[in-house]
Amino acid sequence: MAEYSPVIPREAVDRSFAKQGPKQYTLWVDIEHCIGCNACTVACKAENNTPVGVDYNRVIEIEEGDFRDAGKTPNVGVTFVPMPCMHCGRPACQAACPVGAITKRKEDGIVLINKDKCIGCRYCAWACPYGAPQFNAEAKIMEKCTLCVHRVEKGLQPACVTTCPAKVRFFGELNELTMLMKERRARGVSISVGGADTKPSVQYTK
Amino acid sequence: MNSLIEIGLQAPLRVDSTLCSRYRSTKSECAACAVVCPVPGAVRLGDGADNNGAEINAACVGCGACVSACPNGAIRPREDDRLAERIGERVQAGKVFRFACSRAQGRADLVVPCLSRLTEALVLEPIRGGAEGVALCAPDCSGCGLRKAAPQWARTMAFSQALCESAGLGAERISGVRTLSGEAEEIRLPAKAPTSRRRMFQSIAERWQASGEAALQGEAAEATPVEPFREIVQRHSENPKRMDLLRLLDALPGSGAASKAVATTGFPLAQLEVDSRCVGCNVCETLCPVGALSHREEGGAYTLEFAAAQCTGCGVCALACYHQAMHVREPAGLSQLFERPRITLVSARPRTCRSCGERILGDAAEFCPACQVSGDRRDAIARHFFSGGLKNV
Repeated sequence: MAEYSPVIPREAVDRSFAKQGPKQYTLWVDIEHCIGCNACTVACKAENNTPVGVDYNRVIEIEEGDFRDAGKTPNVGVTFVPMPCMHCGRPACQAACPVGAITKRKEDGIVLINKDKCIGCRYCAWACPYGAPQFNAEAKIMEKCTLCVHRVEKGLQPACVTTCPAKVRFFGELNELTMLMKERRARGVSISVGGADTKPSVQYTK
Repeated sequence: MNSLIEIGLQAPLRVDSTLCSRYRSTKSECAACAVVCPVPGAVRLGDGADNNGAEINAACVGCGACVSACPNGAIRPREDDRLAERIGERVQAGKVFRFACSRAQGRADLVVPCLSRLTEALVLEPIRGGAEGVALCAPDCSGCGLRKAAPQWARTMAFSQALCESAGLGAERISGVRTLSGEAEEIRLPAKAPTSRRRMFQSIAERWQASGEAALQGEAAEATPVEPFREIVQRHSENPKRMDLLRLLDALPGSGAASKAVATTGFPLAQLEVDSRCVGCNVCETLCPVGALSHREEGGAYTLEFAAAQCTGCGVCALACYHQAMHVREPAGLSQLFERPRITLVSARPRTCRSCGERILGDAAEFCPACQVSGDRRDAIARHFFSGGLKNV
């Protein structure tokens, strides 16, 4: 894993955590059945109209195995990991922002960047262990996945979820999603980073 | 007459947000105004949401303790009380100028509701005018309704004394005098010419008109779209309090003679240092409320300069710096107020990131560290948790 040491005062993270409400909207991504078609990435770009180089959602491809292992059958595989913003319980980006432009909404736990306040210093990009905040070089401000808050507020699901052809992305309240995962007997993986644990809310199963 | 021209319920003081440390950075925990405010609930500090700055509401009694306490000069009386002018008119060469609070007994050259209204520039103003000394007369503050503001005038006096000593004038020229409590009497100057009735009504009419115009302008300003925060913080207003003080120090008789080292702990001054972790992101410059930092790019070199005389030691630069490259060093010498050096904090050759086009300092490769880490981290995290998927095959 890449070396990373966020310089965030522990109290600052704790303070932001104390402000969190009980509700947390988030995503569940079923890695096992993801086909790596990148439809979520494209739908996200179309929905949020992001410029080139700014991706709120990116699908990481992990290629493993070897064809040259003598005497054995080729043992290879690919895993696709869609990486949106984790809408953390203790957002490192919020603690790093010098002007208080990043807020975690009490009512639904969505972490948002206030574009009027953001001064484009990119401190959130430094702080985020998941590489979620993206720098918009044209507007000189930071942007990131909003969990399609404009759609959620209208009662719709995020664009990436409705688009997913393999139906591996699910949107909902965190407790509902964990119930759903139990129902389907999916093996959950918590991708929280040790050290300064930011308590990511997005759920993965494999 | 004041009640005649008052329009609506407005606090007698107003806050210039662009100078407020809290407004500019949510990392600042400055509460200088709230600490000295004697009225509970008159100063409201923001909670980190849209406006993190200080606000003063109509409960304010206008004692002016916060005007003196705010190191950045962000709080000012809504209506100019012309204190400096009034002191200038009344000062007599070779005599001791007496300031008194309204509870002090005896005669004084200038009576203010509370001595905490006085800034260092006002306390030193009589010395500039040629007075032998300055006496701050007040009874025991513990019995006063404004007692929470009392530490402020003690601080102002200590700073003024240190400035006096540093200028080679002697700290003893400014003294605090304990009086009995009673009613202070202001020495009235004989009017130069008797005011005519016509003149009096004319002046009332002028003030009426002025206040009406101001109110109309205020309404017009509200109609225009609100300027986004990120553009507001690009502006740097002059710190009026510090500018007054610097102008006064220029004009002090015998100033600049001997600037001795005086202990300065607790004074609104600081010395800054930047270490090698600086990446040249300019956040310190952007967020500095008083514009003490500025950068230049000349001949391919990036230079960050620090105007020490402007710095009030609010620490926003050090708190905001993510890379912890900025350090506030105390104590700072009072001489920086007299000599006003411009100190070069950083001088380096910047590079341009190929991905985001932003400037970076240091010897990173073609991509800036911010771009590099954010992409790498996505990969690294995904690999860390989801490699080994083969085991299921």
